[in-house]
Amino acid sequence: MIFRILLPLLFLFQSAFAQESDLTVAGIPENLKENADAVVRLNKIDVDISSRKSMSTKQTRIVTVINENGLDAIDAYEYFDKSSISIKSIEAIIFDAKGMQLKKIKRKDFKDLSASGGAMFTDSRILKLDYTPTQYPFTIVFTSETESSNTAFLPKWLAIAGSNTSMQKNVIKISCVADLGFKYKEYNFEGVPIQKEQSANTVSFIAENIPALKDEDYSPSIMKVTPYVLFGLEKFHLEGVDGDAKDWESFGTWYFNKILAGTDEVLPETVAKIQSIVGGETDLEKKAALVYNYVQSKTRYVSIALGIGGWKPMAAKDVDRLGYGDCKALSNYTRALLKAVGVESYYTIIYGDRHKQDMQEDFVSMQGNHIILAVPNKDKMIWLECTNQAIPFGYQGSFTDDRLALIVKPQKSQIIRTGIYTSENSIQKSKGNYNISDKGTINGSVMIVSTGIQYESKYFLSEESKENRDKFYKSAFRNINNLKLKKTDLKNDRELKEFTEDIVFEAEGYCNKSGDRLIFSVNAFNQYSSIPQRYRNRKNPFEILRGFLDSDEIAIDLPEGYSIESKPDDVIIKDKFGEYTAKYTISESGTIVYTRSLLVTPGYYANNEYENFRQFREKIARNDNARIVLLKK
Amino acid sequence: MKLTNTMLLFLSCIFTVAAQNFKPAKITKEDLLQKVHPVDTSASAAMLHKLGKTYFAISGDHWELVTEVNIRIKIYKKEGYEYANQQVSYYTGGKTIRVDFSDAYTYNLKNGEVVKTKLKSDGEFREKINEEYERRKITLPDVKEGSIIEYTYSIRSPYFSVFRDWYFQDEIPIDYVEYTVAVPQYFVYNRYLAGYLKIEKTETKYNTPMGRSYQEYIDTFWAKNVKAIKDEAFVSNVENYMSILKHELSSTNFSTGIQKYSTDWASVAKTIYDNEHFGKELNRDSYYKEDLTKLLSGITTPDEKMNTIFGYVKNRMHWDGDNDYYCDKGVKAAYESKSGNAAEINLMLTAMLRDAGLKADPVLVSTRTNGIALFPTYSAYNYVVAGVETDKGTVLLDATSKYTVPDILPVRALNWQGRMIRKDGATKEIELRPKKNSREVIGMSVVMDKDGSVKGKMRDQMFDYYAYTFREDYAEMNEDTYIEKLEKRYAGLELGEYKRTGAKEMDKPVLEEYDFMHKEVADLIGDKIYFSPMLFLHRKENPFKQEVREYPVDFNFTWQDKYMINITMPEGYVIESLPKGVNVVMEENIGSFKYNVIAQNNIIQVMIVFDMNYVNISKDYYKTLKDFYQNIIEKQNEKVVLKKA
Repeated sequence: MIFRILLPLLFLFQSAFAQESDLTVAGIPENLKENADAVVRLNKIDVDISSRKSMSTKQTRIVTVINENGLDAIDAYEYFDKSSISIKSIEAIIFDAKGMQLKKIKRKDFKDLSASGGAMFTDSRILKLDYTPTQYPFTIVFTSETESSNTAFLPKWLAIAGSNTSMQKNVIKISCVADLGFKYKEYNFEGVPIQKEQSANTVSFIAENIPALKDEDYSPSIMKVTPYVLFGLEKFHLEGVDGDAKDWESFGTWYFNKILAGTDEVLPETVAKIQSIVGGETDLEKKAALVYNYVQSKTRYVSIALGIGGWKPMAAKDVDRLGYGDCKALSNYTRALLKAVGVESYYTIIYGDRHKQDMQEDFVSMQGNHIILAVPNKDKMIWLECTNQAIPFGYQGSFTDDRLALIVKPQKSQIIRTGIYTSENSIQKSKGNYNISDKGTINGSVMIVSTGIQYESKYFLSEESKENRDKFYKSAFRNINNLKLKKTDLKNDRELKEFTEDIVFEAEGYCNKSGDRLIFSVNAFNQYSSIPQRYRNRKNPFEILRGFLDSDEIAIDLPEGYSIESKPDDVIIKDKFGEYTAKYTISESGTIVYTRSLLVTPGYYANNEYENFRQFREKIARNDNARIVLLKK
Repeated sequence: MKLTNTMLLFLSCIFTVAAQNFKPAKITKEDLLQKVHPVDTSASAAMLHKLGKTYFAISGDHWELVTEVNIRIKIYKKEGYEYANQQVSYYTGGKTIRVDFSDAYTYNLKNGEVVKTKLKSDGEFREKINEEYERRKITLPDVKEGSIIEYTYSIRSPYFSVFRDWYFQDEIPIDYVEYTVAVPQYFVYNRYLAGYLKIEKTETKYNTPMGRSYQEYIDTFWAKNVKAIKDEAFVSNVENYMSILKHELSSTNFSTGIQKYSTDWASVAKTIYDNEHFGKELNRDSYYKEDLTKLLSGITTPDEKMNTIFGYVKNRMHWDGDNDYYCDKGVKAAYESKSGNAAEINLMLTAMLRDAGLKADPVLVSTRTNGIALFPTYSAYNYVVAGVETDKGTVLLDATSKYTVPDILPVRALNWQGRMIRKDGATKEIELRPKKNSREVIGMSVVMDKDGSVKGKMRDQMFDYYAYTFREDYAEMNEDTYIEKLEKRYAGLELGEYKRTGAKEMDKPVLEEYDFMHKEVADLIGDKIYFSPMLFLHRKENPFKQEVREYPVDFNFTWQDKYMINITMPEGYVIESLPKGVNVVMEENIGSFKYNVIAQNNIIQVMIVFDMNYVNISKDYYKTLKDFYQNIIEKQNEKVVLKKA
């Protein structure tokens, strides 16, 4: 009678859960239901570091999924690989709204997938839950246990859940043997009730009852607003290599000696080749540019992450032979070639992302997701992005600008800030003219010069096919229907980092006709028309990450037989978010000269400023769409 | 004429010619110096040749299907570097399949000499995708702008019914493409060629392989100067227009006797029907019997029965996201676990409908991602729905989505024709596309203020596919989030009270009603007020931007949009001018647009009806369609002008 034995066991099992947490939907506090597609009932992580090479992690994650938009909050997966991380156990149990068990999903029913993402090849794999929900809401209890010989990366603890997900209880507990220099640091804890418990070798953090937040446009990156804790060891282990890091300087020295050592050797032929390319050039910046251009012409980005290869750059001589590599390999290869011509450069660890994210200056640990190169030139740094074959020497773009990065040197490694694009240096200048025919057709030509951060959104065009350029301009000038491009001459000045577009086009039906009137928007070329989303109750602060300056000067010829019935008034809008001017001057010959400038200033603002910002943008959009009315004489 | 609601694909034609005589040339300095493709100057890379051969070999006690491919690619631009990374995915069915890359080289010009670099093992990878599929990848060394790469791979598979499709076309130009097939006398394959290209073919040759006693039939196909295939907006699946050669096993004839496989649509359907994961599953009934009896107690009319069963299956079952016409775990297990693939859910539905006395049969379907089912092969279909023959015609049902209703299939399944398989094995083509235009009726009533702002009420009724897509997109969405989205879509709109009905009641239209305010609809210029009679609902951009079109335009469904708008003028203003009414009808009534604006006392009344009557519009009508849209947009943007009284 197997039944008799099993039943009480099952019962025991369920009640064990019931003791720890209430799995019913009714047990969710009201305030956690608001805006929530899912409720994390419990997220419990126990990490035990028993030696430099041994870390075990146990996770219990209980999530009530309210509707299908909440499925992403389940997060039931674990990474593993051959060399260092193994999954000891993994399981999920599904319960209905009343807390009755529906289904149990065992390890063999998890999907075994490659974790390659964008990589060409990696040996990292994922075991991932494969479950089709049969009712909402439901609750899933996910438990896992992993072991790793890598102790360089301890979990990062985020107190709150993702968007539209509330958090009932969130606990992390890390225990570590005494002599490894275990450390941690709290960020953004102000005003958030988080309990901390600490004993000799253990620390734990508990956050409870945190309501769901909605996604909001212009929100700062979560690292600026979300409470989180970083953990780390001073003595750690990474794929067969022991590491030491008391401060950034010693971390850098370790990195240089243990990870980078020996990877920058190249063959004598390679040295000879690069020296002949540089020739008699003596100027440091010009030498570096010659090397950089050579690397761009010789290599391409391919990511292969196997074992320590996930962290250690592929040897420079292999890059030289194969002509490909990832960010580590290509930056390091460039470093090796620069060294061969007597130019010093530093391997630089950074977070690459359009959202600026700093390396945490006050917490030493393995951080960053990208590698670039820093070339010291007198008192400045030249920053080199080595994975892009098209950008000019020394151009950073929004992927690595204005953030703290670690430059790795044999000694005196340090955290420094990368280059900043100011609004005043990020200019788009348009000068042109157009005429309006009595049929309402527009014929125009304009010369647009872009620099600074604005260069980034243009330079790639010079490599694009005719079709793609056509698509680009039809989208950029989407306010003009029926656009027919007659000329798109593009000039990419890589030295000045300046992009020039010389565009001639025609479009029928640009003007609206109303009886004897022709109505058209004066600003045909450069409308700043998007208006930030309105929120009834903005919660997050907001951030304008980068500023820019546009200036436009357009001469407009009107059709014969028409007179101006009305034109917009000149405008000046000034706000802390920027400045906008538009001027309409009518010359003696009847030509209208439209001059416009728009300055957007970067900044970080409180939530209650958001509506002002939105209105600032609304005013600009309205003025950018201001119309002239022509009346037939 | 070449319209549009019938299956209309030009099929490639094959020209038989005595012999082809392509030999890969030696790579020269000039080849490496070439800067752009001579025909397609925008190509980032091009295949200089693509040569393939499929033949049979005996390995121990079984046949192996061997495919060997040799490809040479010229890289013109950096964007073409992706072609230096290649991969081949293949079916393993849990067995070990031998796949080898060989003779992979990169050619470059160094100091005026042609230099080749060999691919070594550090650039070769194998990846297990899942239990049944694997992938081999290579990344070639030393690739620069101007390089030429060349590689060969071979796949040896015991699955002779899984014949790899041969693509004569790619996203880059192919200067020369050739494919040879050698089939032993024991096998008969049907051969299908899709696409627009002109393909040439040699006379069939007969040959006795070395040391063997059987004959094989050898055919060689080739094409020259093949254009790159390019995706366009409003194309459901660009592969529908690619030139692809497909082989489907028709019969085998060994000493043990002839075994027949598919030869036509009827036998494809029959083979699928006879498979235990289809027919047998369809005939099971014990698992639902009790529930069904309870469910149908007191229900008498066939219509009610159909709707009740459909609602029950939709409600009980949850689609796991897999398209298939074969069951995976089986209907019984699916019923119990309440989740299943498309076959499990819709075969279960068909079985229950039959049980209730309805004339229900499964209908095989090819989803949009699978392409149009052109040829009678097993992979032509990949999905199944239920069809019920009623006195009002065939009604299609798909219970994989919560929001479908009778005759509204999910958009993924809206792909030309399906094939119904009756109990007796007879089959019939079924038109899948909706029989009528999907309707949206918008009523709006506003009062305009002197400052040009409007306040009013909106009433938006959505039927058919409008209702279906609304439900799929928004039924589960938090209402506040939805309202924010709506306000974002119509910049300047501020919603007051919002009410919605029918989002979860499938027998009703979706109805949205809200109060709103909008400050940005009108321009105050001088002492006049200008605004579009559609206020903020007018379309501003023409969705058709290309000047020429390669492929037909595919709308997911046909429609009729109706607008009735009343605008009360601000006090103290009178009309200076109103847009003139129009009635634009596209040739052959592809689409039409009726627009009328009148004024009565101080109220402006706008009445618009916009019909699109064809789902698929041949490229010959592209210009007409584009101009039609332009007309509509210009009309919608014409202004009412008010002046001070």
